[in-house]
Amino acid sequence: MLTEECHMNPYLESFGIEVIDTDLGERIIQLAGQPPSHIVVPAIHLKKEEVGDLFHEKIGTEAGASDPTYLTRAARVHLREQFLSADAAMTGVNMAIADKGAVVVCTNEGNADMGANLPKLQLHSMGIDKVVPNIDAAGLLLRMLARNATGQLSTTYSSFYRGPKEDGEMHIIIVDNGRTKMMQDKILAESLKCIRCGGCLNTCPVYRRSGGHSYNYTIPGPIGIAVGAQRDDTNSLAWACTLCCSCSFVCPTKVPLAKIIAHHRRIKAENHQLPYGKEKYMPLVGKLMGNETLFNCSMSIARTSLKYLPNSLLKPFAGAWGKYRELPVAPNSSFETWYKKHRS
Amino acid sequence: MSSKQAILQALSTTALSDNAMPVINIPARLDDLLSQFETSLNTVTATLHRDGGLTGLQAEIDKLSSEGKQIISLVDGVTGNREVPADPHELHDIDYAIIKGHVGVAENGCIWVNNESVGHRVTPFICENLLIVLAAEDVCANMHIAVQKVEIASGQFGTFISGPSKTADIEQSLVVGAHGACSLNVYLV
Ligand code: SF4
Ligand code: SF4
Repeated sequence: MLTEECHMNPYLESFGIEVIDTDLGERIIQLAGQPPSHIVVPAIHLKKEEVGDLFHEKIGTEAGASDPTYLTRAARVHLREQFLSADAAMTGVNMAIADKGAVVVCTNEGNADMGANLPKLQLHSMGIDKVVPNIDAAGLLLRMLARNATGQLSTTYSSFYRGPKEDGEMHIIIVDNGRTKMMQDKILAESLKCIRCGGCLNTCPVYRRSGGHSYNYTIPGPIGIAVGAQRDDTNSLAWACTLCCSCSFVCPTKVPLAKIIAHHRRIKAENHQLPYGKEKYMPLVGKLMGNETLFNCSMSIARTSLKYLPNSLLKPFAGAWGKYRELPVAPNSSFETWYKKHRS
Repeated sequence: MSSKQAILQALSTTALSDNAMPVINIPARLDDLLSQFETSLNTVTATLHRDGGLTGLQAEIDKLSSEGKQIISLVDGVTGNREVPADPHELHDIDYAIIKGHVGVAENGCIWVNNESVGHRVTPFICENLLIVLAAEDVCANMHIAVQKVEIASGQFGTFISGPSKTADIEQSLVVGAHGACSLNVYLV
């Protein structure tokens, strides 16, 4: 994930280094030339038939085969050759234990450990946010990670590296890439507590409907907005959210995602980065809704118009919203009038 | 300024205040640890062999050996039919590897192994099938206790293994046997 954030693969390839992703999902999207669509299950957007066709073309599986077990075993054989012939291995890091100088790498497939333990050179890259004080903290986070990612009891392999193998070399690359800048802002800094479990993606109604690629950022979903909105030059990412707060409630490390997303909107507004429409009409809408008389008058006009004016005349006012929707049926009175009549 | 200096300098001026590490005080479930451990192992598609001990294991190994399987043992008192090679790459055709586990975790089926018990670090991952020998008294209740029991001295490697390797990357269907071992059997001694 960090290497994608930093565009590491294309960089290495520009030096003639062949880079092979070894997590099955990562390998699938690498062969397909696509970005990941989920932080735990990168190829979640592909059907098994599509994976079957891709594998048939790239690694020579049988045409038309789509059984996940068959395809997984084929990938196992294909990637074994790569593991056995690689000159170096690079993994991500789930936690770095400060008082031990050790890194913890978690996988279910065993790809990180197959990779790191065969060639002489092992590299581990991590953001500065992965550092935890001690092994107790690592134990706590290990307990949370798999439960919230896939509902498993634990990841299959939680490996602690505190030095290279005999005659080997081990390097840990620690990356900032905007993280210390986020730490200058109390609210944005909270997003660095994330352990990348993917729980917030799985619960988000926007993610579930639109899929990971629509976010146009390496990390999709709520956490993707939280850490990516500042780099989003379309200034629209922070609005791909209904502020329903479901993500904030499921997050095991209590990242206040919805609060961060609302904060991003505020930052965009303060920097005058809102798209033209939002910048111009939202303040007017705010004024209108803040003024009781104005608001009541306009609602009464709206009710009358909905009742008497033809659809064809009103539809254009609904904009994109009205494209696939019918206009509402106007009630006879305002809620306030109805409430006064029935409750007082 | 080196990039390391730049990061450290930036870290000294953040909007965050220092927080002391909170005390972790989570009550452990201590009833029948072995049954809990067995249930967890079953959940992660591993098998626990409570009876038979090393003799039972050796009998199993002899049978596999007579079938022509390639077996490496790193446990005293159990013999396979292959020696530890100088180059870890030569382990690629090992069918069964037998290693010693140091700590078992009842709540999630994790077993801690370290580089002293595995020969080449890649052994538990590269073998087709993994067999772990574990002392019954080394099973503890949860991860909070387990991380206190494991030792990783400077330069060392250790890993918690919970079942055989697995993936659900194709249409979220669970497939056991990804890149690491395809099965895990645990022998209690
Ligand atoms: S608050 Fe926004 S990002 Fe979070 S779950 Fe709801 S819609 Fe998704
Ligand atoms: S923000 Fe929370 S829920 Fe989302 S991936 Fe990170 S840790 Fe998981």
